[in-house]
Amino acid sequence: MSLSNLIQNWDSFRKRRPYEDQYKDAPYKWAMVIDLDSCIGCNACTVACYAENNLAVVGKERFGKGQAMHWIRIERYWGEGEALETEFPERGAQYLPMLCQQCEAAPCEPVCPVGATHHSPDGLNTQVYNRCVGSRYCSANCPYKVRYFNWWNYPERAWPNPLELQLNPDVTVRSKGVMEKCTFCMQRLRAGQDKAKTAGRLLADGEVLTACAQACPTSAITFGNLADKNSKVARMWKNQQVDLAKNAQDKSEEGVRGYRILEDLNTYPSIVYLERLRNFAA
Amino acid sequence: MVGGSVGYRQGFHHVDEAAGGYYGRNFRMSHAKKIFLWFLMFWMGSSLVLAEPFVQGGPIGSQTSDGYDALGPVVEQPIEFPHNRHAGDMKINCMYCHTYARRSNVSGIPRLDKCMGCHNLIEGVKDRPRIKKLFEYWENKQPIPWKKVHDLPDFVRFNHERHIQRFYFQEKRPIRETCGYCHGDVASMTTARRVKALSMGWCISCHQKDHLEKVGSSVTSHGPNDCWLCHK
Repeated sequence: MSLSNLIQNWDSFRKRRPYEDQYKDAPYKWAMVIDLDSCIGCNACTVACYAENNLAVVGKERFGKGQAMHWIRIERYWGEGEALETEFPERGAQYLPMLCQQCEAAPCEPVCPVGATHHSPDGLNTQVYNRCVGSRYCSANCPYKVRYFNWWNYPERAWPNPLELQLNPDVTVRSKGVMEKCTFCMQRLRAGQDKAKTAGRLLADGEVLTACAQACPTSAITFGNLADKNSKVARMWKNQQVDLAKNAQDKSEEGVRGYRILEDLNTYPSIVYLERLRNFAA
Repeated sequence: MVGGSVGYRQGFHHVDEAAGGYYGRNFRMSHAKKIFLWFLMFWMGSSLVLAEPFVQGGPIGSQTSDGYDALGPVVEQPIEFPHNRHAGDMKINCMYCHTYARRSNVSGIPRLDKCMGCHNLIEGVKDRPRIKKLFEYWENKQPIPWKKVHDLPDFVRFNHERHIQRFYFQEKRPIRETCGYCHGDVASMTTARRVKALSMGWCISCHQKDHLEKVGSSVTSHGPNDCWLCHK
């Protein structure tokens, strides 16, 4: 960080994120809405993420040790009175796709000793692999536990010949000792942004999708640009009365079901979840 | 050296609080030593100020101050392609062959039929050894196994399109200059050779410069400096 950069962008260093109208003049602020009522827990998003982002398949044993590298995972929850006392007690689970929440005030960022993770101007929580030294502080500080550490040198064995041909050339194959996380399919965003910039415009709504949003069969995941007031995501955020810079949402209106996970930790995530509606009487 | 170590031992064994204590005795220095230390500090300070400026990717054949070989290794190509004939003498635009530079991340190596498109019709040079080799590949229906010269690490995304669009199409700079920022004067080489450092500090050194935002305007801006624009 040079001194001139510090002076020019003083606002973003001085003010505590997120502040009012932070992205008023910014061209992009990537955000997401996940409708839990639509999610059927099919794991298509996870599979798409594995294919798009060169995620290593770690195997059963390492999965059991919690070393799986799924940037997006489907969590299952059983609410009160929902576990059925039948021979299939797993029935009736609620599904929650958990991926990096791209927090505005991300707990992982300030603890990185080498600045490998920082906030990008388009509101993404970045991870620079070649800068990472593997201290794992970020993962320890992440309340969502969505950062994944390369405990092993997966490129050696995760893609035996000829499987390495399936790797996405736009995404680094991470080696042993670095942390990795969901990037909101940054390689797609950059490719789209480049195309749009050459044409002299901004990205249109829905022009670029993340792999998980694209693969979702029930369209539970909506991805878009929050800085664009007319984008689908921005309208959904507004309809659900969720504001990026507020951690306590006004839930007075009937039918509003948007919330952000662990909002009381003041992380200001960029992903809004829509609560599942259940009819217990039926 | 010997005296110093003896002094240390003495100080270690006879701690005398009244005479400045343990540390006072240990670090008492002779005048010669003091003078030497002053000289040392002066030399260190002056070397900070007078140090040669850090020029990455300096002149051809030289080494940068971080030990980076400014002139990349000689890459043996299957055919010694004369860039100096094509781009230098004939003044063919770089993008005639490296056609993807203006619309994609990579500039692209031309396919064999691009070479043949012209060389089928140029009778005068068909007896030259390099052209004979070219026709050999063509008749054997084999692509020429060109080797990569400007190879970046896998975690770096460099976009040709952005730079070509900006400097060649918007600012109408000569193509030889635009490509030359990173590739050097290829038009004076036969097979290309890396002449710039292509290290991150070298990229940044240009991105930090004030560039005019548009042709004719006085507003300047510098290149983007967000990590994730280049790192992936």
